[in-house]
Amino acid sequence: MGITRRQFIKRSSLATAGAVLGPGFFGNPFIRRAFAETIGDRYLVVLFLDGGNDGLNTVVPYDNLGGLRTAYEAARSTGGGGLRLAPGELSVPSSSFTDPNTGAQLGFHPGLSGLGSLYDQGRVAVIQGCGYPEYNLSHDVSQRIWQTGFPLGSGGLPGGTGWAGRHLALEYTGIDVPAVTIANSIAQEYVQNATSVLAIRRLRRFGFPYDGYEPADETAKRNAFSALYTEASAGGQPTLDFVGGSGQATLVSSESYPVLHDTYEDERASWDQLYSDIDRGMARDLREVAKIIYGVSNGAPGVSARFYQARNGGYDTHADQGGSEENGRHYDLHKEVGDSLQLFYEDLADMGIADKVLTVVWSEFSRRIEQNDNGTDHGSQGPMFVIGGENAINGGVYGNHPNIESSAIDEDGNTVYSQDGGDGFRSTDFRDVYGTVLKHWLSMPEISILDDVLSPDVGPANSYWTVPDFDLGFLP
Amino acid sequence: MGDENTVLTEPMARHMLRRTGFGPTQKELDRSGIVGLTRGQAADELLGFKIKKFRPGGRDFDKLHNKWLKFMLKTRFPLQQKLVLFLHDHFSTAFSTVRDVKLMGFQIKLLHSMAKGNFKDLVKAINKNAAMMDFLDTIRNRKDVPNENYARELMELFTLGVRDFAGIDNYAQEDIVQIARAFTGWNFEDNGDPEFRDFQHDFMIDYPERGPKVLFDGTHGFPPGGVSFTTSGEGAAEIDVVIDILFQHTDSEGKNTVARRTASRLLEYFAHPDVAMSAADDVVTVSGFDTNWDIAALCRAIFVHDAFFKTAIPPDDPEAKKSVKWPIDYVVSTMRLLKMKPKGREAYINGGSFTPLLDQLQNMGQVIMDPPSVFGWNWETAWLSSSTLLSRYNFARDIVAAREGGKRLRPEKLMDLNITNPGTIVDTVTDLLGVTDQLSSAERDVLIDYLTDNGSNPTIDLLDEDVRNTKLHGLFALVMQSPAYQVH
Repeated sequence: MGITRRQFIKRSSLATAGAVLGPGFFGNPFIRRAFAETIGDRYLVVLFLDGGNDGLNTVVPYDNLGGLRTAYEAARSTGGGGLRLAPGELSVPSSSFTDPNTGAQLGFHPGLSGLGSLYDQGRVAVIQGCGYPEYNLSHDVSQRIWQTGFPLGSGGLPGGTGWAGRHLALEYTGIDVPAVTIANSIAQEYVQNATSVLAIRRLRRFGFPYDGYEPADETAKRNAFSALYTEASAGGQPTLDFVGGSGQATLVSSESYPVLHDTYEDERASWDQLYSDIDRGMARDLREVAKIIYGVSNGAPGVSARFYQARNGGYDTHADQGGSEENGRHYDLHKEVGDSLQLFYEDLADMGIADKVLTVVWSEFSRRIEQNDNGTDHGSQGPMFVIGGENAINGGVYGNHPNIESSAIDEDGNTVYSQDGGDGFRSTDFRDVYGTVLKHWLSMPEISILDDVLSPDVGPANSYWTVPDFDLGFLP
Repeated sequence: MGDENTVLTEPMARHMLRRTGFGPTQKELDRSGIVGLTRGQAADELLGFKIKKFRPGGRDFDKLHNKWLKFMLKTRFPLQQKLVLFLHDHFSTAFSTVRDVKLMGFQIKLLHSMAKGNFKDLVKAINKNAAMMDFLDTIRNRKDVPNENYARELMELFTLGVRDFAGIDNYAQEDIVQIARAFTGWNFEDNGDPEFRDFQHDFMIDYPERGPKVLFDGTHGFPPGGVSFTTSGEGAAEIDVVIDILFQHTDSEGKNTVARRTASRLLEYFAHPDVAMSAADDVVTVSGFDTNWDIAALCRAIFVHDAFFKTAIPPDDPEAKKSVKWPIDYVVSTMRLLKMKPKGREAYINGGSFTPLLDQLQNMGQVIMDPPSVFGWNWETAWLSSSTLLSRYNFARDIVAAREGGKRLRPEKLMDLNITNPGTIVDTVTDLLGVTDQLSSAERDVLIDYLTDNGSNPTIDLLDEDVRNTKLHGLFALVMQSPAYQVH
């Protein structure tokens, strides 16, 4: 009896194809290209701003239409420890950058000038007021909510899996390696149990470490290693099954990925240098993504990843957040991300594939509207960014600026999540952003998104995400 | 399976030492004298260690890190270290944020001194610990501008957890706001001692709009209207009272929340992640942890419980559970088992990539005293990714590539080089690394095939330096890189 795909998925934990196909498969460096019917020849990059980015000081009211600026100034003070950004300090794109609801002119935090420049070229969609019902102020809980896509429970979908992971599980099997996290650990949004996700910090150090004493013995070592990991998967003990699959995927990938570093360094030396010039972790991480995308798009053997995740930490600015000053903490974080994203985009454009790469930027929550002494505590809705090439994205501002009037914020000092269509301040549910990406970038039918990836909440339509709209408009 | 009167066989005794320490070597097993004792007697023996003081030192982080690492490599009381590591993860504080070596050293010293003490007292001490007060912004929490950071993590991570085991919220945002008030005004002096500044404290009379200082309005076992944390007076006394209140909190099943959660985490730490809730309830009941808060008593109850012995079972048994070794355990155990010492002030292995152990551990995902966030490290399979696995393989390669000078791998000190039978050689090496009973016969055959090049060399001459350097070192590396060695 042949193994159906469903059975196969059930039997695999993570990258356990060796258990089913035998060690011979992994002896062959061939890994087939990813399926073409969904993401096709495109790529998706997820960028996580870890710690809760202060949205109010990221996309800032410039003028006072709808009273936004007055409310902003009431919440953010000037002077020692004050976080207020003056209109003249903001990075204001020359193209239209206004809040769809109030019509207020907006500006980026001055550190985000790199992103502002991309915005001017029409390459950035700013999606305001992103959040979810019954918001949670724990970093851990809120991150999991965003990464799993389950604010109020999983609705019967596999718990513990990531929203993008559930897409991967539908489209890929144990013999594929569709996703890479630029980190030591796998990003929660890609977690599932059907296919392999790699964690790679630096490609050039991703080769398998053989003891150089007797090179002729390497084949014997490799075969023994592979056989041990196959045996571990075959035993059926779940933890060892996981270890077995992870080790096999690591071995095979360690033989195909490191060369991507050399190729990029050789063929794109001047771009390589530009990332080095920024000299920040975010730039170096995005450079690793660029190296892999460059390899995959040029048909490098044995690599097929199309999904990526990178992370930038430090956004938990309870104290010493800083305003517009260049050495400030929040300024510094924005500068790192804005400049890195701009360079990454330009690199892809130079490769001729800017239209093939979509980058989605999110944070687990925004911060308290009213500042504390010199920082901000945890808050609710904040902006997301989606970046892509000319034909990949409809640049502009989507979603509404949250209502930051003191009369409108809740008893904890945070903006309120609302799906009330008659309320000009209607919030954006992050699942609508994901849904738009799944439908328009990954070509998933709506019914499949609803059945397999994102389940609507049960509850009143004004307070919960009950009528999904996977057409926010930022993707063609 | 058994109880506290069950007599320990050698494999079970070895398991007990492995999970409560690093290793063990055969000598450590012999010296422990626990083979043939009952589980209860052995637990008493293990927990009877004398608290060894850790004296922090060094002006930069690397020095402090290596000082603690070397302390672990040498200690005669590895259980103390295992407890300190658990507590360090629990009260996660990151040097990257605190940026003060002296303060980090004080905190680690505190954890050493209270490692098997009273958990409630420890939480009270952590409240006033300088590195923690800096890390979670207690020193930036003032009456006019309250900062909720510590109040939230105190409940979420150190005591209650966000939700109980039935999924019911353990506290509300209002409780966080109130607790933040209690912690206003705390700071520390240059020597790290806590200091209360009452001019920065939130007094009710100054902030009547913030209401009375009460927690848990009619919920979690507390009366309607809540319980006040000013019963010992307003000011410096409030933060201890807050802890007293949190330690009385009951969950939706009426059980003590802190006791259940702490027991469950400690069980997961010493045993495996699939421990049933009933096991946590067992060990709380047996130890009386929900009233005495005695960490040692809780550990004793865990070390005699069947759940603790599930990871000792060979993996082909459906009852078997496995737990992924922490990187620090992987490194320290390996070096202790193979009698390897780090070289130089940077503490590197004298072979392979010559990478300092600090960097090796970072690549594996664990720099002690610099956890990734207030949540500590993600345990179990989260330790293992392609990236961190490769880093473990790198470490194993470096160990076997150490062939020069006094800090090299010396198989002749560990085993008899006159043995020539491949099976015996494999068993000797897997014994040294403590995984013999965890390998299937097929896995053993893989290692024999490697040693003999699939049978073409039926006897192995370990006295030949080339054979030793190629095949014996290769065998050590393979075992350290094997799936069985990543777990315990």
